[in-house]
Amino acid sequence: MSSSASLDLPPPLSASTSERKVSSSSPAAAAAAARNPISLRLYKVLAANFEDDATREALRTLSEFYQPATDKGKGKQLDAGALHLTNGHAHAEPQTPASALLPAVSTGVAVRARKNLRRDVELRLAECSQQFLRAFGEVDEKLDVLNSHVAQMRAKCDEIHAQLQASNDACKYLLERAEGLQTQRQTLIARSELVNSFLKRFTLTPAETDAMVSRDVPVGQSMFDAIDRTEKIREDCRVLLSGEGGESQAGLDIMATTAQLLEQAFQKLLRWCSFEFRQLGRDAMLEVSPTMREAVRRLRAQPALLTEALSALSSIRQTTLLNSFIDALTRGGPGGMPRPIELHAHDPGRYVGDMLAWVHQAMAGEQEFLESLFGVRHARMVGAVRTAGEGEEESWVRRLMDENLEKLCLPLKVRVQQTTRSQEGSITAYKIANLLQFYLVTMQRTIGEQALLTKTVQEITDFAFKVFFDTLEASGRSLLRFLHPPEADLGPPLTLRDFSHVLREIMEDYARADPEAEGDGFKKILDTSLEPALEMCKRMSELMPPQAAWEQHIFLVNCFVYLQAMLEPYGFTGERVDALEEQIEGHVHGLMDEHYTRLLKDSGLHPVVEALSSQTSGPLSHEPAASSAAVTSALKAFDTFLSTLDVQSSPRLALLSVPSVGSRIHRGALARIARDYGRVCDAVRDARNKYEFASTLLGSQRPFGQMGVLSQVLGIAEDEIAAA
Amino acid sequence: MSAYDGDATEMLEAYDFLLKFIVIGEAGTGKSCLLHYFLHNSFKGPSQHTIGVEFSSRTIKLGEKRIKLQLWDTAGQERFRSVTRSYYRGAAGALLVYDITNRDTFTSLPRWLSDARALGSPNLVTVLVGNKADREDEREVEWEEASRWAADNGIHFIETSSITGDNVDAPFRLAARAILLAIEAGTLDPEKAGSGVSYGDRQLRRISSASRFSFGGGTSSRRRNVVVRLKDGVGMSKCC
Repeated sequence: MSSSASLDLPPPLSASTSERKVSSSSPAAAAAAARNPISLRLYKVLAANFEDDATREALRTLSEFYQPATDKGKGKQLDAGALHLTNGHAHAEPQTPASALLPAVSTGVAVRARKNLRRDVELRLAECSQQFLRAFGEVDEKLDVLNSHVAQMRAKCDEIHAQLQASNDACKYLLERAEGLQTQRQTLIARSELVNSFLKRFTLTPAETDAMVSRDVPVGQSMFDAIDRTEKIREDCRVLLSGEGGESQAGLDIMATTAQLLEQAFQKLLRWCSFEFRQLGRDAMLEVSPTMREAVRRLRAQPALLTEALSALSSIRQTTLLNSFIDALTRGGPGGMPRPIELHAHDPGRYVGDMLAWVHQAMAGEQEFLESLFGVRHARMVGAVRTAGEGEEESWVRRLMDENLEKLCLPLKVRVQQTTRSQEGSITAYKIANLLQFYLVTMQRTIGEQALLTKTVQEITDFAFKVFFDTLEASGRSLLRFLHPPEADLGPPLTLRDFSHVLREIMEDYARADPEAEGDGFKKILDTSLEPALEMCKRMSELMPPQAAWEQHIFLVNCFVYLQAMLEPYGFTGERVDALEEQIEGHVHGLMDEHYTRLLKDSGLHPVVEALSSQTSGPLSHEPAASSAAVTSALKAFDTFLSTLDVQSSPRLALLSVPSVGSRIHRGALARIARDYGRVCDAVRDARNKYEFASTLLGSQRPFGQMGVLSQVLGIAEDEIAAA
Repeated sequence: MSAYDGDATEMLEAYDFLLKFIVIGEAGTGKSCLLHYFLHNSFKGPSQHTIGVEFSSRTIKLGEKRIKLQLWDTAGQERFRSVTRSYYRGAAGALLVYDITNRDTFTSLPRWLSDARALGSPNLVTVLVGNKADREDEREVEWEEASRWAADNGIHFIETSSITGDNVDAPFRLAARAILLAIEAGTLDPEKAGSGVSYGDRQLRRISSASRFSFGGGTSSRRRNVVVRLKDGVGMSKCC
C-alpha cells in the first residue's frame, strides 16, 4: 500500500485518535467510488490535516510520553523505578517517547501505546493528582503553621491593645493633669501679666526714680515726667484703695513709697530752685528758664517748700535791688554816666523824681520776672491799667513783689522824707508831694494798693503833704504874726503879694498835674492857705482907726480883688472866687452907701432929702428944711454940683486898686442921688405938699425937674436910677 | 513790616540781651500807638494821652540773638516833663518821635534831643521816628529835611505809620542793632549797671565776648550797612 507507505505517520495518528483512523481508512477505500458515503468519509479522514500546531503539540507530547520506554529498553526498569520514586507513579516508563526516534521505535511501543494509552493517561493524571495532593498537604501544613502564627500574633496584638488601653487609661490622668497644669499655667501667665501691668502702672522704673531722687540727674523734663507719673500712680492707687476690695497692703505700700519719693523729689526741686535762685539773684535783670517756671509750678503743690525757696530768692533779690539802688544813688552808671542820683540832691524835685523813677523801673522788671516765674501772662494793652488777678499765682506774685522790694522801701523813705522835711518853701514841698502822689497812683495801678511799696509811697506821700500843709500853715501863721496897718495907698500888702505868688505857683503845678481836676483835692490847700491871708487882711484893716471905715472897706476890697484875680484863671477855684465876690460885694455896698452919703452932702440936696425921709404928716413945704426957699437953694446947689461933677470917678475912690470897682461904686451912688432928686421933684410936684409954682421951682435950675436930662448928664440910664 | 513774625506773645521767652528803650517826643505824635503796633501788630485806635510813663516789653530776634526790649512809653505833655525826664537814666536806646503832619513837633526836637543827651547815658542810641507817614497829604515836614537834621545830629532816622504798620519794627530793630554793635565794639559794657543793657542768659557771660556775635563781621563796615539799610527802609516807606 502506497498510501500506507506514504503515510508512515498516520498510523500513530490514527493510533492516537482511533476514531479518526477508522474513518480515514474508510474514505480511502472508497476513493474509487466517489459517491459511496464510506469513501466520502474516507476521503475526509485522509484529507484531514494534522499539520496544525495543536495537533503537533499533542502528538509531540504523546511521543514524549512514550519515549523513555522505547529508548532504553534495558534501563526501563531502573528509570521506571526512578520515576516511581520521583513521581510516585508506576507508569513513568512510557514517558520518554521521541518523535525523532519514532521510526526507530519499534512497533512494541506503539502497540503498547495503543493498548495502554488511556490507562497511561489516566495513570498519569492520577499521578499528577497525587502529586498535587501531596503538594497541597504540604501547603496545608504550612497554612496551619501560618494560622498558628497569626493566632499568636493576634494574641500579641490583643495584649498590646490591652496594654495600650491600660496606658491610655493611665495617660488620661496624666493628660488631665497636664490640662490642669496648662490652665494653671494660663492663669499664672495672665496673673503675671496682670502683676506686670500692675507693677508697670504702679511702680516707677529705676530711671524714673533716679530722675526724681538722684542728685546726678539734673532737674528737667525727665524729672517732671517722673513726678507726673508718681502722681498718676498715687491717684490710681487712691482709686484702688477706695475700691471694693478695700485697702490692700500693696496699695498702702505704694502710697507710702510714692509719698516718700515725692517728698524726696520735692526736696530735690527745692535744693535746685534755691541754688538757681541764688544764681539769679546776682543779676540786675532776670530771665526765667522754662525748667525753672515748671519747677516753681510743681513746688506750688508744697507751699512750705515753695515758701522756703522763694524766701531765699526774696532775700537775694532784696540785697541785689538794694545794692543796685544804692549804686544808682551814689555811683551812677558805668563811668559815672548817667550821674549818680544823689548828685542832684540839691534839686529836690529831680532828686525825688529820679529815685521814684528808678524804683518804678526796678518794680516793672521785678514784676515781669515774677510773672514769668509763675507763668502769669497779662495780655495787657499799652497803657491799660493792670488788673490784679485773683488767682493763686497773682497772690504769690504780689507777695514776692512785696518781699523783693521790701528793702528798697526804707532807703527810699528815708531819703524822700529827708528831702521833704528840709523844704521850707511850700512850693517845693507841694511839688514833691504832687510828684509822690503821681507815683502813688502809678504804683497803685501797677502793683495794687495793698503792695508794701505802694503803702510806703502812700506813707511818704502823706508825709510830704503833711509837710506841705505844715509849711502852708507856718506861712499862714507868719502872715498873722507881724501885723501892721495898711500902707497909705491902701493897696494889698507885700505879704499878701508874696503869699499869692506862692499860691499861684502851687495852683500852676496842680493844674499842670491834672488839667481836668475838679479841685476836690485842692480845696484843703485853698482853705489852709487862703484863710490866714483873709484873716490877715481883716486884722490889718482893723488896725486902722475906727473912724476910717471908708479906708477899711477900700483896703479890703483891694485885697480881695487882688486875690480873686489871682484865683480866677484856675477852674478849680470857683467856690473861693464866688465867696470872695460875695465879700467884695459887701464891701462895695458899704462903700457905695458911704459914698452916696457924702455925695448927697456934696450935692446940696441932702437937707431936702432928709426932710422928705423924716416927713411925718402935713405938707412938706411946711417943713423948715424943705421950704420953697430951701428947695430953691438946694436945687441951685445941685445945679452947681452937677456942673462940677466927674461922673466917671471920684477922688475919694482913687485908692481902689481896680478903677472899674471905683467907677461902679461912684455910679451906683450917683444913681441913688438921681433917684433922690427924682423923689424931691415928685414931692415938689405933689399938690399935697403945697408948693406954689412947683414947676417954676423945679424948672429954674438944671436939670429942670426932668429925669431924662439928669440921666443924660450923669450918663446913667433911667431904669438904672429907678432901680437904685 | 513783613519781618514781623508775630512773636509779641513770646514775652516770657529766653533772651540773650535785655535793652531798655525810652520813647519820647511831643504829645500826640503817636508814641503809644507806635508801641502798640510794635507789640500787638495792630493799630491801637484813638487813644488818650499817656499819663506819666507806661511800661511794656517784647522780645525780638536780631540775627541769631534774641533781644528783650523793655519799653518805657512816656507822656509827651509838658506837665509830665519833670516825671518823664527821670526815665532817661539807664536807657540804652531812645526813640524820638515826631509827627510828620505837625511841624511844631519837629521844631521842638532839639529840646528833646538835648534832654536825652543830658540825662541819658553817653552811649544812648537815638532813632528819630517820623510817625503818621500814612498821611502824606497833610505832610508838613519833608523827609529830606528830617533826614538832614538827623544826620547833623548823628542819629538814625526812619518814617513809620502806626496805622498801616509801615516800618514800625524798624526803629526798634535799628536801635537794638546799633546797641549790639556798640557792645561788640566794646564801647558799651552790659556788665555795668545803668547801661540799660544786660545779659539775658547767664551762660553767655561765661563765654568769651569775641565770638558772641554771629551776625556781625567788622564793626565799622557793619555800621555803614546799618545806614544803608536805614535809607532803604525809608525809601520803602516813601513809596508805600
